[in-house]
Amino acid sequence: MSRERSFSGGTHPPGNKELSRSREIVRIPAPDTVTVSLCTHLGAPSTPVVKPGDTVTFGQVIGERNGFISLPTHSPVGGKVLSVGEAPMPHRRMGPAVVISVTDRQETPVFEPLPNWRNLQASLIIDRIRDAGVCGMGGACFPTFVKLSPPQGKKIDMLIINGVECEPYLTADHRLMLENPTDVIEGMNILAMVLGVKDPCIGIEVNKPDAITLLRNAGVRVVPLAVSYPQGAEKQLIDAVCGRKVPAGGLPLDIGVVVQNVGTCAAVAHAVRDGMPSVSRITTVSGRGVSNPGNFHCVVGTPVSVLVEAAGGYTPDAERLISGGPMMGMAMYTDEAPVTKGTSGVLVLSGSEVRDSAEGPCIRCGKCVDACPVNLCPSLIAKASEYGNWTMAKDYGALNCMACGTCSFVCPAGRYLVQYIKRAQNEIRAAARSGKGA
Amino acid sequence: MPEARRFELAMSPHVSATATTRRVMTDVSIALLPALAAAVYFFGFRVLLLTGLSVVAAVLAELLCLRFMKKPVNIVLDGSAVVTGILLAYNVPPGVPWWLPVLGSAFAIVVAKQAFGGLGNNIVNPALLGRAFLMASFPVLMTAGWWAPLANGPAGNDSWDQSGIPSADLLEADVITGATPLNLLKQTYTWDTGATEALEGGDSEGAEALRRKASGVRAMLSSEQTRLSLFLGRVGGCIGETSALMLVLGALYLFARKVLEPRLPLFYLGAVALFGWLFGGPGFFQGDPLFHLLSGGVILGGFFMVTDMVTTPVTKTGRIIFGVGAGLLTMVIRRWGGYPEGCSYSILLMNLATPLIDRYTKPLAFGEVKKND
Repeated sequence: MSRERSFSGGTHPPGNKELSRSREIVRIPAPDTVTVSLCTHLGAPSTPVVKPGDTVTFGQVIGERNGFISLPTHSPVGGKVLSVGEAPMPHRRMGPAVVISVTDRQETPVFEPLPNWRNLQASLIIDRIRDAGVCGMGGACFPTFVKLSPPQGKKIDMLIINGVECEPYLTADHRLMLENPTDVIEGMNILAMVLGVKDPCIGIEVNKPDAITLLRNAGVRVVPLAVSYPQGAEKQLIDAVCGRKVPAGGLPLDIGVVVQNVGTCAAVAHAVRDGMPSVSRITTVSGRGVSNPGNFHCVVGTPVSVLVEAAGGYTPDAERLISGGPMMGMAMYTDEAPVTKGTSGVLVLSGSEVRDSAEGPCIRCGKCVDACPVNLCPSLIAKASEYGNWTMAKDYGALNCMACGTCSFVCPAGRYLVQYIKRAQNEIRAAARSGKGA
Repeated sequence: MPEARRFELAMSPHVSATATTRRVMTDVSIALLPALAAAVYFFGFRVLLLTGLSVVAAVLAELLCLRFMKKPVNIVLDGSAVVTGILLAYNVPPGVPWWLPVLGSAFAIVVAKQAFGGLGNNIVNPALLGRAFLMASFPVLMTAGWWAPLANGPAGNDSWDQSGIPSADLLEADVITGATPLNLLKQTYTWDTGATEALEGGDSEGAEALRRKASGVRAMLSSEQTRLSLFLGRVGGCIGETSALMLVLGALYLFARKVLEPRLPLFYLGAVALFGWLFGGPGFFQGDPLFHLLSGGVILGGFFMVTDMVTTPVTKTGRIIFGVGAGLLTMVIRRWGGYPEGCSYSILLMNLATPLIDRYTKPLAFGEVKKND
């Protein structure tokens, strides 16, 4: 067997995917009340266009686009608006949201289905993907249509579909590829057509051999990758798949590449072929803090508590609630927070799974330097940040950090390296904005 | 709908690798044990007492410092003081009075480590600075305490027979003034110089005699039997440095536990072998690399002190520079310096250069292009 491709650096956190990878996706009906975030995508929040008491139908626009990098928000259900305002959100304490009392769970196309998309203009399809509110389903939630509209003069010649799912515990993408390969392939073909790319491929880590075989048999070009975190990060994935390196501070499209997640592909297929808005997603509920981990399909706005209940409820030693994976996911303080378009997983970790929170002094072992996928010296940036030396932090490349958490994971002293570096990034950017330079 | 439940917040990542500072220090301590077993075998149970006292002194000194500086005393549990205590003891001869390693350990912890802010902040290797302090303060005790292996007593002129190093016919009784292989090697350099001077003075007979002595001792040092003795540890030396075999066993354990990164030890040992061959002999390209690797503190230093995380560079290129630099300095001191062994001072000197090395070996970030400035 040939050696699989990968990127340099990285680490191997225990996958823990066996908890949920063999569980079929279970469809959860919308609960009685949903809390729909107006800011699930990266960019400006959408502006609410409904008020309490309004009746809404499935797929109705309840928040309008606000600026270029923004998306409309659709109602995932039919019902009555209870309130428009702030609500607890997974990625921040509070965020703008529309709370809807659910009366109708019927899902019908709100746009004209375009099964003959091959004969249509690319711009028409891009508009559809935008109007359906499709954003990156891998967790970053970047509006998909933006990635499909490269600036003048940039030629895209490669489309890589991200089936890596490198975060431990998460199996939603894996299950999607196994249970619904048709939608993934359809979405990939739509994206390839729009971008004018002839030969798209899917990067999948070899810990998902069944998905690799299935998609290969369906005629897809699969690039098997050695298991390593953070291979699902855009730049690392591109490096692993084709050896091209995105310039520091640049974007994949600078080297002619677009990366899209498998979940995004399925959402694109639904939007274009079926005329459906992006209002639901597949999410993994796992960790030893829930009794019966699994993969669930639910509408956005479903409270996390409903998902946890679907996964058998909390175990007695449930200690931490996380939106996303254990490496980059955010701890949530309440399970009232809703699922958003970027909720790739909900983890409930038990006391034995979470790391010791105590932080010791850096012993300069260099493990973080060896593991950093961006080739930085996290320990040195962190030290500079600890002492408020933002110039030195910048000099050591703090701005190149993507906060993947690999350094903190391997650190024997348990240092919060990512947070020190993020702090430096904020300070450097603030200084740059205020014109003083850093 | 289920009732809302609250959770404590925490920062990502939420999981971590199993390695902890304490685990690392425990592994290093375990890896040092085989060498202690060899020392007990060759030098007797006294070395256990010295090592034990040294460790106790290091831990007590650390406790007192933490107490005095009003830091949490449980910091001592990270195990780094134990490692320093063991290494300090390994760096003194087996015949020193009991209070010498105690004093050295206390100095290592108080002055070299805690005065700089404790674990992670010290600039030089504490155990090595402790040794340097002892060498400077008690030079006689530190160089007269050599014991011959398996003799359980001070090394004397007649002990080489038991030591496994063959006595050459050419060796006269007054020849052996030092009790370690490196002391003998240092003698040969002196004889070489003496021979040259004698020749210039017209005393060709005296020159020839000195040459013969020097080459005779060299032949003895490079003999198969000497190599075997050096490899097993059947030679005079500091407590923990003599048995290459046992030290390598410990190092293999550390590699298996992924505690040791390979660049530092390999480039250090490689540099010692290279420069030892280059100028460690009577003339250029005449040195015996194997002898230089196996003798003195090179194996102990190479696997356990050049690799000290705190005082060596974190960058990959930096670790290579450190290893090569320390190897070069070790050989320069052995060949031209005032001491027969240069391992510990070479590491101390490179420790001082570490911040500079880190600064000038900053790696290029992913996708970054080298700037022409």
